[in-house]
Amino acid sequence: MSTESTSAIVRNQVDLLDFIDWTGVECLNQNTSHPFPNAVKQGYREDEGLNLESDADEQLLIYIPFTQVIKLHSIVIKGPEEEGPQTVKLYTNKEHMGFSNVSDFPPSDTLVLSPENLKGKPVILKYVKFQNVRSLTIFIEDNQSGSDITKVQKMILQGTTVETTDMKGLKKIEDH
Amino acid sequence: MVLEATMICIDNSEWMRNGDYSPTRFQAQADAVNLICGAKTQSNPENTVGVLTMAGKGVRVLVTPTSDLGKILACMHGLEIGGEMNLAAGIQVAQLALKHRQNKKQQQRIIVFAGGPVKYDKKVLEMIGKKLKKNSVALDVVNFGEEDEAKAEKLEALVAAVNNNDSSHIVHVPAGSNALSDVLLSTPIFTGDGEGGSGFAAAAAAAAAGGVSGFDFGVDPNLDPELALALRVSMEEERARQEAAAKKAADDSSKQDKEGESTSQDATMSENVGTSASESENKKDDLMDDENALLQQALAMSMDDPAATVTTRDTDMSEAATDDQDLALALQLSVQEGAKDQSGQAEMDKLLADQSFVSSILASLPGVDPNDPSVKDLLASMQNQAEAEQKKDEDKAPKEDDK
Repeated sequence: MSTESTSAIVRNQVDLLDFIDWTGVECLNQNTSHPFPNAVKQGYREDEGLNLESDADEQLLIYIPFTQVIKLHSIVIKGPEEEGPQTVKLYTNKEHMGFSNVSDFPPSDTLVLSPENLKGKPVILKYVKFQNVRSLTIFIEDNQSGSDITKVQKMILQGTTVETTDMKGLKKIEDH
Repeated sequence: MVLEATMICIDNSEWMRNGDYSPTRFQAQADAVNLICGAKTQSNPENTVGVLTMAGKGVRVLVTPTSDLGKILACMHGLEIGGEMNLAAGIQVAQLALKHRQNKKQQQRIIVFAGGPVKYDKKVLEMIGKKLKKNSVALDVVNFGEEDEAKAEKLEALVAAVNNNDSSHIVHVPAGSNALSDVLLSTPIFTGDGEGGSGFAAAAAAAAAGGVSGFDFGVDPNLDPELALALRVSMEEERARQEAAAKKAADDSSKQDKEGESTSQDATMSENVGTSASESENKKDDLMDDENALLQQALAMSMDDPAATVTTRDTDMSEAATDDQDLALALQLSVQEGAKDQSGQAEMDKLLADQSFVSSILASLPGVDPNDPSVKDLLASMQNQAEAEQKKDEDKAPKEDDK
């Protein structure tokens, strides 16, 4: 595709934050004083002090429905070195999953985050599997150090929409 | 009005045969369950409730979460008592039943009635609690029946492990004359995290309290406020009258000095000096139209009995005052002035005699029409009397001057 700097948006891709349907967002096992919007919403996620934290144990289950069908290209997960997530499984179009049925079907993709990823390097996903995404479930299975609490400082989903292409998001190709 | 799916875990173990809760522990529990089901379904029509038993041959789901109250109540019939309560399995099955609820938007809640002893240890219960918290399930525990230190401690630990933002509660109900359901009515299990609960719960609480006859007159203010008010007022009047009579006897000697001051004019507008018992009865009937009755009584008193003593003024202004702001203000004014100076009475007389002032007061009283002929008559007669009083004062003054 294209070479990208560590935190720049990939060419042609758009930050899918605007297409998240916030009324249906659910995050299981989150600490209510450190909830999911801390990691995702504009302004909150830039703040280093505001994290998404897990509560009873280190796993987190995040369900994100979208307002329209999207294609997911890559994902950026930023977190602290120790308590940042390590194994992350993504499931598409499965409603209302619980911790008990994460193992019932195979994930659309499994990511193992390295410390570089935690600093902001995007992880490119298996694009073919994310062509027609209505909702995304992110299962954070464990964290880097194996501690009891997983912390996520920032999460960015990058991709494109299927029905409408946002012309503003399309970046001009310089070297053509 | 939280949208909730609730699973109620009933204890039908052998320990529920005991009669320390009337009539038996099992019956008390059944009543409480019925009450909870009713409250939940009433607070939000989309709420669902399910029931399962924890003892007997094994954990058995009697009815899966449904909003049909009839179905829930029906399944409570014909339950058999036996076996031992299996708390862990019960909670886990309840969690599973909630997971497969039809409306995924509902919050999940489990209510456990723990009557028999708990055989699991604290660690296991805490693990279960954590799992519930992880899946955002709230838990309410009703600890009744068997009482031992360990049981209470274990259940407290369980609820503490589940608790997230005060959504889970534990209630300990000791054996006694109070029914299990009555005790539960006042707990957060019913009132639901301080939302103010459902009207159902509040009404049931009132009815329960009324049944225990916590009221002075055996009349529920919720059911019949006017009657209750009338009874209360007449009771206070009678008390005040008796006080007044006592004081009157004591102050008889000083009465001579205070002659002609007609202290009853407005200072005693609300008090019952000189009223006969029949007057209070009339008042009871009249109180249906509050302002009119009070006004008439006040005017009647000022006409009838100028011989009241000053000291009785103090008794019980509150009943009239509560009914009308203007009246209260006038009363306070009159009390202050009367307390200041005896001769201030003359000023009051003048004020009242000033018809415009009186009619302005009357006009501001709701429900009183100054053009109403009866009111006019009263005013006229009052004015005459006021003039007569003034004349008397004037006569007295020159007489004293002469001396």
